[in-house]
Amino acid sequence: MLLSDLSGDELARYARQIGPGALSAQGQTRLKHAAALVSRAGGMGGPAALALVMAGIGRLVFAHGGNLDSPDLNRQVLGSEEGLGKPRVVCFSETLRAMNRFVEIEAIDHEPDDDEALALARRVQVVLSCAPTFAERLRLNRAAVEAGVPLIDAAQWGMTGTLIVVDPGRTACLQCLYPVVPEFEEMFPVVGAISMAVGSLAALEAIKILAGSGTPNFGRLLLIDGFQGRWSQIELRRDPDCRCCGARKPRQ
Amino acid sequence: MHIRVVFAGRNYDRTQAVPARLELPDEATLEDALEDLQTLLAGKGIELPQSCLVAVSGVHLGTLRAHQAHPLCDGDELLLLAPVAGG
Repeated sequence: MLLSDLSGDELARYARQIGPGALSAQGQTRLKHAAALVSRAGGMGGPAALALVMAGIGRLVFAHGGNLDSPDLNRQVLGSEEGLGKPRVVCFSETLRAMNRFVEIEAIDHEPDDDEALALARRVQVVLSCAPTFAERLRLNRAAVEAGVPLIDAAQWGMTGTLIVVDPGRTACLQCLYPVVPEFEEMFPVVGAISMAVGSLAALEAIKILAGSGTPNFGRLLLIDGFQGRWSQIELRRDPDCRCCGARKPRQ
Repeated sequence: MHIRVVFAGRNYDRTQAVPARLELPDEATLEDALEDLQTLLAGKGIELPQSCLVAVSGVHLGTLRAHQAHPLCDGDELLLLAPVAGG
């Protein structure tokens, strides 16, 4: 992989993020040759996808089933009045393509089942779980662990957000945290500002992992409690008997 | 001893009335603190989900349903995080 893999136009596009404390030129090149799965195209998946595309990831696989509805527009940064009633991931993918011509966008207009999630995870280098249900999150977790790629789990409620970064076989996976599927609330309150904050931080973790820059937040849960004005981190405990990752060896 | 108590995550608004500090006997354990808290919450008609993550001073110890035994120290922070999802 050479610096010359980046065209003059690409170097110009990313000039402000190549340098000390950000990405190296080699890191930017690694990002160009990398792919990420973002599921789904919601309040957190939208800004996560946008940040990855703007940063210059090579390929984004973007999965979501369903149309854009009016109540979505308090938090869907890729949405617009014009998109109401249309397939969400198709509309959002067009917006993403318009943001950066150097990035390939693969839109998947449904939620992947177990088999498809695993197949997709094997085609990317990181999985971003931005799904509404714990069942979907745990499915993406299983797929990432089985494929041996990092998982970034972004979640929200009200003004609260959490971010968990999993290095399969080395740090706690979602199944270690939730051996029993937690209760799920279909219609939950959420303020768009926290969705965007957590989605953007999920993208930042992905960029660090893919570009080899900085220190990924593996093995920790970041809690942003916007309502009470408190940020904290928890060191997560891996379950050696976890039925998902317990037998998994660290990735190379 | 006194410990700080933080509720966060889903339905955190329902736990605003719970004192942020808990007074416990010396030698108290995590189990003692959780029992006191759950009794306090039950008096207010609140039941925490068993899937709540439990951490003491930044260290994850499991869920309400299943967690490691852990001695407490004066000044510890007990965090209870009701899991959040949301897309």
